[in-house]
Amino acid sequence: MVFTLKRLGLALLVALAVSMLSFTLLHLSGDPASAIAGEGATDVDIAAIRAYYGFDRPLIVQYADWLFKALRGDFGESYYFQLPVAQLIGDRLSITMTLGVCGISFALLTAVPLGVAAAVRPNSLIDRVALFISVMGQAMPSFWFGLVLVVIFSIKFQLLPPSGTKSWENFIMPTVVLGYYAMPAIMRLTRAGMLDVLSADYVRTARAKGAGEMRVMFKHALRNAIIPVVSLSAVQMGFMLGGSIVVESIFALHGAGYLAWESIGRNDLPTVQALILIFSLFYIVFTFLSDLLNAWLDPRMRVG
Amino acid sequence: MAKTIETVEAALSGPTPGQVLRGRIFGHRGLMLGGIVLLVIFVVAILAPLIAPHDPYAQNIMARMQPPVWHDRGTWDHPLGTDHLGRDYLSRLLYGARISLLIGGFAALISGLIGTFMGVAAGYFGGKIDNIVTFVINVRLAMPVVLVALAIVAVFGGSLEVVILVLGFLLWDRFAVVMRSSTQQLRSMEYVNAARAIGCSTRRIIFSEIMPNILNNLIVVVTLEMAHAILLEAALSFLGLGVQPPTPSWGLMVSEGKKMLLFEPWLITIPGIALFVLVLAINLMGDGLRDVSAPENRN
Amino acid sequence: MKTVLTGASLFALTMLAAATPALAGKSDDTLNIAFTKELENIDGYFNSAREGVIMQRTVWDSLLYRDPETGEYKGNLATDWKWVDDVTLDFTLRQGVKFHNGADFTADDVVYTVNWVADPSHGVKTQRNVNWMKSAEKLGPYKVRLHLKAPFPAAFEYLSGPVPIYPHKYYAEVGPSGMGQHPVGTGPYKVVSVDPGKHFVLEKFDGYFKDSPKGQPKIGHLDIRTIPDVNTQAAELFSGGLDWIWQVPADQAESLKALDQFTVANESTMRIGYLDMDAAGQTGKDNPMTKLKVRQAINYAIDREALVKVMLKGKSKVVNAACFPSQFGCTDDVTKYPYDPAKAKELLAEAGYPDGFSVDFYAYRDREYAEAIMGYLNAVGINTNFKFLQYSALRELRMSQGVPMSFQTWGSYSINDVSAITSEFFKLGSLDSAHDEQVKEWLDTADSSIDPEKRKEYYKKALQRIADEAYWAPLFSYNSNYVFTRDLEFTPTTDAIPRFFQMSWK
Repeated sequence: MVFTLKRLGLALLVALAVSMLSFTLLHLSGDPASAIAGEGATDVDIAAIRAYYGFDRPLIVQYADWLFKALRGDFGESYYFQLPVAQLIGDRLSITMTLGVCGISFALLTAVPLGVAAAVRPNSLIDRVALFISVMGQAMPSFWFGLVLVVIFSIKFQLLPPSGTKSWENFIMPTVVLGYYAMPAIMRLTRAGMLDVLSADYVRTARAKGAGEMRVMFKHALRNAIIPVVSLSAVQMGFMLGGSIVVESIFALHGAGYLAWESIGRNDLPTVQALILIFSLFYIVFTFLSDLLNAWLDPRMRVG
Repeated sequence: MAKTIETVEAALSGPTPGQVLRGRIFGHRGLMLGGIVLLVIFVVAILAPLIAPHDPYAQNIMARMQPPVWHDRGTWDHPLGTDHLGRDYLSRLLYGARISLLIGGFAALISGLIGTFMGVAAGYFGGKIDNIVTFVINVRLAMPVVLVALAIVAVFGGSLEVVILVLGFLLWDRFAVVMRSSTQQLRSMEYVNAARAIGCSTRRIIFSEIMPNILNNLIVVVTLEMAHAILLEAALSFLGLGVQPPTPSWGLMVSEGKKMLLFEPWLITIPGIALFVLVLAINLMGDGLRDVSAPENRN
Repeated sequence: MKTVLTGASLFALTMLAAATPALAGKSDDTLNIAFTKELENIDGYFNSAREGVIMQRTVWDSLLYRDPETGEYKGNLATDWKWVDDVTLDFTLRQGVKFHNGADFTADDVVYTVNWVADPSHGVKTQRNVNWMKSAEKLGPYKVRLHLKAPFPAAFEYLSGPVPIYPHKYYAEVGPSGMGQHPVGTGPYKVVSVDPGKHFVLEKFDGYFKDSPKGQPKIGHLDIRTIPDVNTQAAELFSGGLDWIWQVPADQAESLKALDQFTVANESTMRIGYLDMDAAGQTGKDNPMTKLKVRQAINYAIDREALVKVMLKGKSKVVNAACFPSQFGCTDDVTKYPYDPAKAKELLAEAGYPDGFSVDFYAYRDREYAEAIMGYLNAVGINTNFKFLQYSALRELRMSQGVPMSFQTWGSYSINDVSAITSEFFKLGSLDSAHDEQVKEWLDTADSSIDPEKRKEYYKKALQRIADEAYWAPLFSYNSNYVFTRDLEFTPTTDAIPRFFQMSWK
């Protein structure tokens, strides 16, 4: 209980620090009034906007104002859309989260079997193939991979729609691109974990007792090897949500990542600010949960 | 007695640690391949002014987007064709190696300094310092890198310096994490305790006892982060917020060629492959170094 | 390596050739359209985007309509109008017009709309569209009087464009954000669904008034999606997910045309590109840009013919004066600076820079044009330090401390009058880098006169002086490429406002 509370407190502090840092960074650009006014606004327009939004106040006052409102779930109004940021983000977040869940599932469903197979037969063909796939994945720029998929599957064979969110088919290519980004790390960790566990005493004992190979693999080995993979996946999931900007922009998925990119270009600070906070909250929540999970699985860690 | 001498002799005539290491390095195919490719790219980067057939900045808009030599319309004057302003693509590619290496190298250097300092301090001193550093690492990890990098570059305008600084200040987390745990392991080692017992200064312990022993881990992280920084710069450039033209950066070349992807794919294929090969080489080297420096942890 | 590359490019090309557009929108009477930019609010008073202008013409009507072919003003919601004096305009309104929500259009709607938007506290985004109007007054159920703040010769131009009329009861109830989410107008299309910034679905308005100068809408549905990446747009076009895309960059339009599967149309737009130079010395009293010979040298250094020919292509033209040629008051009778790098170097030497100099060069869009311009400047010895900023950041910088030189563009909001460009930038405002009192005086005279000949005369004086002093380096006019399915009948116009209500299936 104390452990949980301590972790929770820490997580909240991290969120606070992130919000403060990003608020300061975003306001370094100076006065956002002319950005809001848009191309072709007159000086009068800009002065009116400056007064309306209170950009003339000290930064710390603006931050405090933002923070107290944010705590009540009010992230202000988008400079660009003139709509509440919460509403704007709400429907876009579901797209990004769908993408994130699909991406991590794809990564796990390919990485874990490959990792296990590679660990069972080290230096075999399958091990080399797995290594090759992971090395490729680490070196291939994801925007390039995405564009190549579009050319092949949308233009040449017309199997998949190149953009949009109309049906589940729209999510196939983005899922593969995003998932491939997270896959190498998970595969390597699975393989390493399995190798460790397979040489551990209890697995040898189980083997010696004549347990079937399958049973050894899944009941004894994988269950233990998967623990670090779970927490890595949580971390990767957090990264992926923040990193889906490129994928969303290629496939015109109007998710939170794409909104973030566009909002940066438009200097729509309330939206960017809220999105940075939300993406970091994802990370914080996922790692918090995986901390708890690990502590539950392995009581020795509760001390930390 | 004779037996003991034999053993000692055998031990003496065996390979020295250096020989063992050399043997491992040359026996590791990935490491060799990665190392050679990286060396070639490095030499190309240095010799770019000597081997580039044209000035990479000289534009001739009347000869824009000429295809590479293997195309029907290609000529040997521009072996890899020309870009959207009629600049020689091969020359820009050669000069671009400098930019990518510069970005990867300096970003890794900055983040390495920050991360190592924080990690070693946390690992060695523990206690409050460790708590603070762990907290800062957590804050950093919680910040979405691409998003924050884009926001900062948007504020300061993209330039080589800004991109290097942004990446350097964002990518130190892995250094800090790895250095912290490596230092923690070493701190309780007997020789460190011994050094402390004979009254060595903290500075001396850190620089002559700890640092040399975490160096191999550090090098592995350096390679990872170099690759990471190079890919991230390409992604920033792709999104339009990377280094600025007319700098011949590979990321920028991809982004400039992107709009003709469906029609002149070589414009992005060529720098894309260059990026891929460079990152692949760095990664192979990193993997190889990890295997070689700690074969017992090989995975 | 070589074979891989050849393979890759052949692969892509054959693929494009093999792809046949499937499922075009004609079969279900829906035109699938892509916007590149997210539209912040469909309410035209609260966005400043070109996409917003298009939506505004599609969903709403203004009092007047300017025929894009002839340039003639026709009655749209008004049937008759006349000047009472310099600052008063009377309108007779059309009867029997209905809004999409069933409400009747009357004088109350005009009075409410004008009075509401003219009030600066309501924060209409583009103030210059509305701030010339003082108020509106109801003279009868279908009679309205418009009061101007000062004589405003371009009034018809604005009344036929960015001043759409809203249903007064509904707008009073829901305001701009409600209007943005559930738009109601009198226009040829009504909005069925809005997903802000992402997706708009429009449907033909069956009750659209019969004698509208816009004509009757013909296509049943318009489905508008935001797709930021041009490659993705083209991919959608190939796979039949889109029927109509626009603002296609020149190179891609050319390649698409070569494939011979779609109609590619090109039309010039009112946007011009120019170099703005710090002649007034805002960045430093003795900076090179303050010297006439340097500014002239820069004008001579750039091969604008070549830029137009190989980069902008289409119907773009070289521009010599600080305005778009079709605009009222614009003239080509100014000092011209043909491409002459030798002369440019000579002038630089005379100005005291025989070895050239270094300068910060800013831009906010069309990076490749800016790059090409840099190449020309470098060739005569002007070393440029390139800075590419967001529009807002660059504007902020220009207002606060100025920049020595920047690549700017201006589209005049498709207002066919010099007051929308020259007067915008040469009347000592915060974006005026020339600060020439004489030019301002002439422009003031021209702006406030309602005698067309006098306006022309004074605009010409101002434009000639701007060219003599080389305050700007005017470069070229832009053009827009439209690529669409061959089933569609569509002719683009020079105001770059595609009119969906005039499109039809073949």
